[in-house]
Amino acid sequence: MPGENTVAPEPLLTIQSRLEELALVWPWVEAQAEQYEISADSQFAIQLCLEEALSNIIRHGYGEQTRCAISIHCAQSGSHSLIFTVEDQAPPFDPLAYMVDDDAPAPASIEQLEVGGQGIRLLRKFAGKLDYQRIPNGNRLIICFPIRK
Amino acid sequence: MLIATEELADGITRVELDGRLDIAGAALVDLKMNLIAGSSTKLLIDLQKVTFLGSMGLRTIVVPGRSVKSRGGKVVIFAPTEMVESVLKTSGIDSVFPIHHDLATAIAALQ
Repeated sequence: MPGENTVAPEPLLTIQSRLEELALVWPWVEAQAEQYEISADSQFAIQLCLEEALSNIIRHGYGEQTRCAISIHCAQSGSHSLIFTVEDQAPPFDPLAYMVDDDAPAPASIEQLEVGGQGIRLLRKFAGKLDYQRIPNGNRLIICFPIRK
Repeated sequence: MLIATEELADGITRVELDGRLDIAGAALVDLKMNLIAGSSTKLLIDLQKVTFLGSMGLRTIVVPGRSVKSRGGKVVIFAPTEMVESVLKTSGIDSVFPIHHDLATAIAALQ
């Protein structure tokens, strides 16, 4: 349940498709975390997943377009989950379709260590549950986190 | 995001990062990290004050670390928090740059 005696933060945040706009996301997540009394570790996981999802949309989905909108909506589901819904109007991209071998052996050398491509691996590891939906003219990514108190 | 360096005995460079290693934080320290790595062969990356680490922050560690190792040097990561360590392990970085929580052990691993 949301904490008492607090002003509820706006459940919807809209940013433009520029990496600088991510600076708006963190205080918004902190306000949601306070509202729903989320643990520090869960807040870390939420911020990590949103950074990876949003930066992916900005850099790869929208490419050079810097004035397109991305919306992030936060809602509680039951008493144990918090759901973040990210919507964009970029070309179709399903991050869940990208196969990440979580059981792959650790890199044996520095040459084998991937510099890029870690974002989706982190998203899959730190999100409680992920779902993707293709919507008219865009994409919807639903990221669900357990609320631990 | 803050960055500070300290020269320890036996040619070890300790680089201390402090703050959020997110996209904005990584951009602030990337150049300095690469400069430090360019002149070091024993690099101790101190993460104990890093409160957040994302994939762009991983690059901040991997790219200079790769530079040091390509010249035959050694790199260790020191004292990440539990969540930061989880990010490091998910990426597999820990198999190339070992993680230590005891300073003496970290220094010994660089010898």
